[in-house]
Amino acid sequence: MLRIVALAFILLSGRLTSATDPPRDSDYDYDPPAAGSYSLPVIKPSADGALLDSNNKSVKLRDLTRGRITLLSFIYTRCAAPKACPYATGVFNQLHDLSVDDETLAKNMRLVSLSFDPEYDTPQRLAAYSDNVRDQKSGCEWSFATAKSRAELETILAAYDQAVDKRQNPADPQGPLYHTLRVFLIDREGRIRNIYSSGTLDPRLVVADVKTLLPENARVSKQ
Amino acid sequence: MKTPLNHLHTARLPAIFCAALVCTLVFSANVLRADETCSSPYLARIDGQEEFVYVWTLGVEGMGDGSDKLVTVDVKPGSPSYGKVVSSSSVDGRNEAHHGGFTDDRRQLWLAGLESSRVFIFDVHTDPAKPKLTKTIDNFAETTGGAVGPHGAYALPGRVLIPCLSNAKDKGGKTALVKYGNDGNYITTHWLPTKENARGASGVEFADGYGYDARVLPRKNALLTSSFTGWNNYTMEFGKLTADPEAMKHFGNTMVMWDFHARQPKKVFQVPGAPLEIRWAWGDKHNYAFTATALGSKLWLVSADDRGEWQAKEVAPISDVKGGVLPVDISISADDKTLFVDCFGDGKCRVFDVSDPQKPKQIYEKQIGRQVNMVSQSWDGKRLYFTSSLLARWDKQGADNEQFLRGYAWDGKELKPAFDLDFTALKLGRPHHMLFGSTKIGANRTTVASRD
Repeated sequence: MLRIVALAFILLSGRLTSATDPPRDSDYDYDPPAAGSYSLPVIKPSADGALLDSNNKSVKLRDLTRGRITLLSFIYTRCAAPKACPYATGVFNQLHDLSVDDETLAKNMRLVSLSFDPEYDTPQRLAAYSDNVRDQKSGCEWSFATAKSRAELETILAAYDQAVDKRQNPADPQGPLYHTLRVFLIDREGRIRNIYSSGTLDPRLVVADVKTLLPENARVSKQ
Repeated sequence: MKTPLNHLHTARLPAIFCAALVCTLVFSANVLRADETCSSPYLARIDGQEEFVYVWTLGVEGMGDGSDKLVTVDVKPGSPSYGKVVSSSSVDGRNEAHHGGFTDDRRQLWLAGLESSRVFIFDVHTDPAKPKLTKTIDNFAETTGGAVGPHGAYALPGRVLIPCLSNAKDKGGKTALVKYGNDGNYITTHWLPTKENARGASGVEFADGYGYDARVLPRKNALLTSSFTGWNNYTMEFGKLTADPEAMKHFGNTMVMWDFHARQPKKVFQVPGAPLEIRWAWGDKHNYAFTATALGSKLWLVSADDRGEWQAKEVAPISDVKGGVLPVDISISADDKTLFVDCFGDGKCRVFDVSDPQKPKQIYEKQIGRQVNMVSQSWDGKRLYFTSSLLARWDKQGADNEQFLRGYAWDGKELKPAFDLDFTALKLGRPHHMLFGSTKIGANRTTVASRD
């Protein structure tokens, strides 16, 4: 049930701000600043860690946060809190859709959905989740992964200051884990340049931020 | 191009939509409206009622250990220690303890010292009843490029925004907004616009570069700042200050609207008389904020006009007492109908009906003490807490120098005392900013959150 509800919110999130031209709406009732008209100071270096991707392959988080402008979202697939993981994944779906028709985004942007629930979010489950939430097969890279071990996960969460707690009621309708929504914007050099929560994860702002970073060390990654 | 909806599992949509809708309604029913009403919308909220009031307290020479301290008071109904101090954690020396704020995950409480420019970071997650000092930022001016007088800490996603009051160069009122990461590492500094460097803002003729409070309305991408005075003034004895006409010229007379995301000032408003605390309304369509001018004793409204342009306007006097009543803190109710205004000058809390934000009407007043400064209100509007101290050198003297934390119940008509803690008798010091703590922390309250 939780998975169905979570998927429903992802779909609804996609609908609330359409893919081609995310509109101004009541939650984001402003014109976003033009890309490049402002700066994004470095917050801190992004941390590395050992992961398993949805193909059950060992990968380094470092390899998913270098060379392209990366959006890294910490999620778990059982999350049904409407303003948390389903919302973030819905926004990622919109960004992914946008990149299908935008060659610059397709070549320079990467999406990473990283689960902090490795016991449940096995590579197989992440692969199925990926198939469900990803609308387009083409477009920019979108990786789904989880930590290789619980110890590895704790190190990664601490490095990214990502709070995750077990809820007192494991059958809570919003999911068994409580967490603060964090999505990180990481430049090609692996430096964190912005941190979004549900209140700031406006796809228009994210695109403006990505395009603000594009001219920095502009080298197109390998296709 | 396909949208997510028309591509993915179209046949399942009606059932999924219904499940989501039902779930949304269930979640709505389960959301407990808790927490204080004046906190950052990015802050994780308290589920249920607040359990603790954290009081950032100025040390007094010869009283107890003489140091500034974080005092934790139990406010759990029915608790054997209700209304009592359950822990106290001193920091190094006296720093002109003033305001503070949590990180967005509510795991840390950052507390600032106006005079020393030190910032003390407490862990309030491991044991909310007994916060523990984990880090001290003691190179603020050097790190930030000359900003001093950190006024508090405002939670942003993964970061805190610290509005300052002064600068290291001349210790006047020109100052900056500073950002730190939740890990305590400096990120950047944004100086407030001045006539010499308006940074693209309109209203440059008013720009004075002064700062005080900084508050965000996320769904409008709006950051609003207010203005007070610099280090030279807020560290001066109050009597000496008011007798010095030159010093009295150096108070802020502006508010600034910023593009929050770009951190760029867009418009400077002329708001004479030191506009202090800013309170954005919470309603989904309430595009306005209140402030009170300390020296002018006026309520001001900053609101979007019919064209969406931000405007500032004086909307009501705060009392008709000659010379003013020095309004210092305000608290808006969660339903945006009531505004509590603490007046240091006569120690009264004045309550305004602000249902029509353009025409506030005073409906009640209560003598809280001989002096009163801060007010914090629970989300359900039933509990209010008051403290007494303004600044170490501005507090009243002799018998008028009452130092207290007082809890009250509000029934919509009157304030009724719930408990009273005498901080002088307890040898704690001068209580200033209050923040709510709990062992039960939930999600944050942003505009997107309003959907659930």
